[in-house]
Amino acid sequence: MRGYLGEVLLDQVSKRYGRGPWVLRDLTLEVSGLTVLTGANGTGKSTLLRIAAGILKPTSGRVVRPASVGYVPERFPSDVRMSASSYLAHLGRVRGAVAGDVLERLGFVGSMTAPMSELSKGNAQKVALAQAFLASDVLVLDEPWTGLDPAAADELVSLLEGRTALVSDHEGHLAPATRLDLSGGHVMIELSRVPALDALEALEGVRSVQTRGSSVRVEVAPDRSDHVLAEALRLGCSVRSVR
Amino acid sequence: MISLVRYLAADVLRGQRYLAPLLVFLGVMGMLFGGDAGEPLEAYSGSSALLYPVAAWMAVVVATSEDVVRREITVVTAGGWSRVLTAAALVSVLFAVAMALLAAVWPVVTNPHPYTAGQFFVGLGAHTGCALLGVGVGLMFARPVFDSTGRTVLAVFSVVVLTYPLGRVTPLGWVLDALGHNEVSLSLLWAGVAGAVLVAAAVLVGVRRA
Repeated sequence: MRGYLGEVLLDQVSKRYGRGPWVLRDLTLEVSGLTVLTGANGTGKSTLLRIAAGILKPTSGRVVRPASVGYVPERFPSDVRMSASSYLAHLGRVRGAVAGDVLERLGFVGSMTAPMSELSKGNAQKVALAQAFLASDVLVLDEPWTGLDPAAADELVSLLEGRTALVSDHEGHLAPATRLDLSGGHVMIELSRVPALDALEALEGVRSVQTRGSSVRVEVAPDRSDHVLAEALRLGCSVRSVR
Repeated sequence: MISLVRYLAADVLRGQRYLAPLLVFLGVMGMLFGGDAGEPLEAYSGSSALLYPVAAWMAVVVATSEDVVRREITVVTAGGWSRVLTAAALVSVLFAVAMALLAAVWPVVTNPHPYTAGQFFVGLGAHTGCALLGVGVGLMFARPVFDSTGRTVLAVFSVVVLTYPLGRVTPLGWVLDALGHNEVSLSLLWAGVAGAVLVAAAVLVGVRRA
């Protein structure tokens, strides 16, 4: 399945490892600009990113993504024997893309021909970012600011402007981006006969509103679900389901 | 796909883990063909039997050359697990065929018995078949089918060791039996087909498990 217009769509995605607990449950998310994932450790941010990138298959649900996705893992390995220049050249050839000026803009300092295991953590992270920016459609970045100096961190924010990206970020580097907090789960309310989407979106606790045919799915913070339900009924909506 | 194969092959050659199976292969080949190794096809049976575990070992090296995290980046870059696992299988087969070629040429140079072109190609086919069987076994138990190196080593070692006493029950046995009797047999071809099927099955199992 290929995405459209460089967007990633996760539709009712759930994930559990083997018979373990559910890490993600019925998550629906459309990434069409900059989207930041937040949440405490262990809330499934990295799992969600790996599903979005195509590394993991969801236990249930559907993922639609474009052809060219760039991915930066939470920790880029420190024992790579290949040089940065070879690595980027090889991955560029695999993508059929030419390396841009990402490394220069991030202020990479170090040998391009020495094994990457000899690079500092920050410079190795810059190589990881440079390979991801070879992708033309969507970026999936797991804590991409890890190890970057302040100047490189600011430059990464600039590089992300105008891109479609799903990013996990604890430190608030992307303040204007759409945010999705994975902490504490959510309640999904499915409504029909909705007279005003704007009024629903404005309700406190509503995280997202998505139209699907004749119904509307409203993702709500668990502590505000009763309030949102009452308001939806007051607006004249019919409630199809609450999960 | 060619770019991906080039990258994975370059990564294997950059590491040094391929040296261990290669040195074992070269060392044992030197011992096998240090003197008169016997009739042409019979001489090939020892090196064919050797190539099976060495190719399995080399396939595990290729499959696990990238660590888990870098493999994930490669999967995203290439556009999916199936492309990466197919490329890894191709790299394993390339290494295995190179060793098969060396094993087929070696006695032609060192064995006092003269070789005809036909005997050389039968030997090359037999070695390639055994090498493909080894690659299939190696990939079948390497990442992403088994995540732990310990389990991979144990499974590959067990299967390889158990293959020999089973004799003609296995495709390897077909090859060794034919060569040992200095015969040309269709079973050599079928062993190659079985090896190719095993490699393809290992890729499919890997894609399902990933």
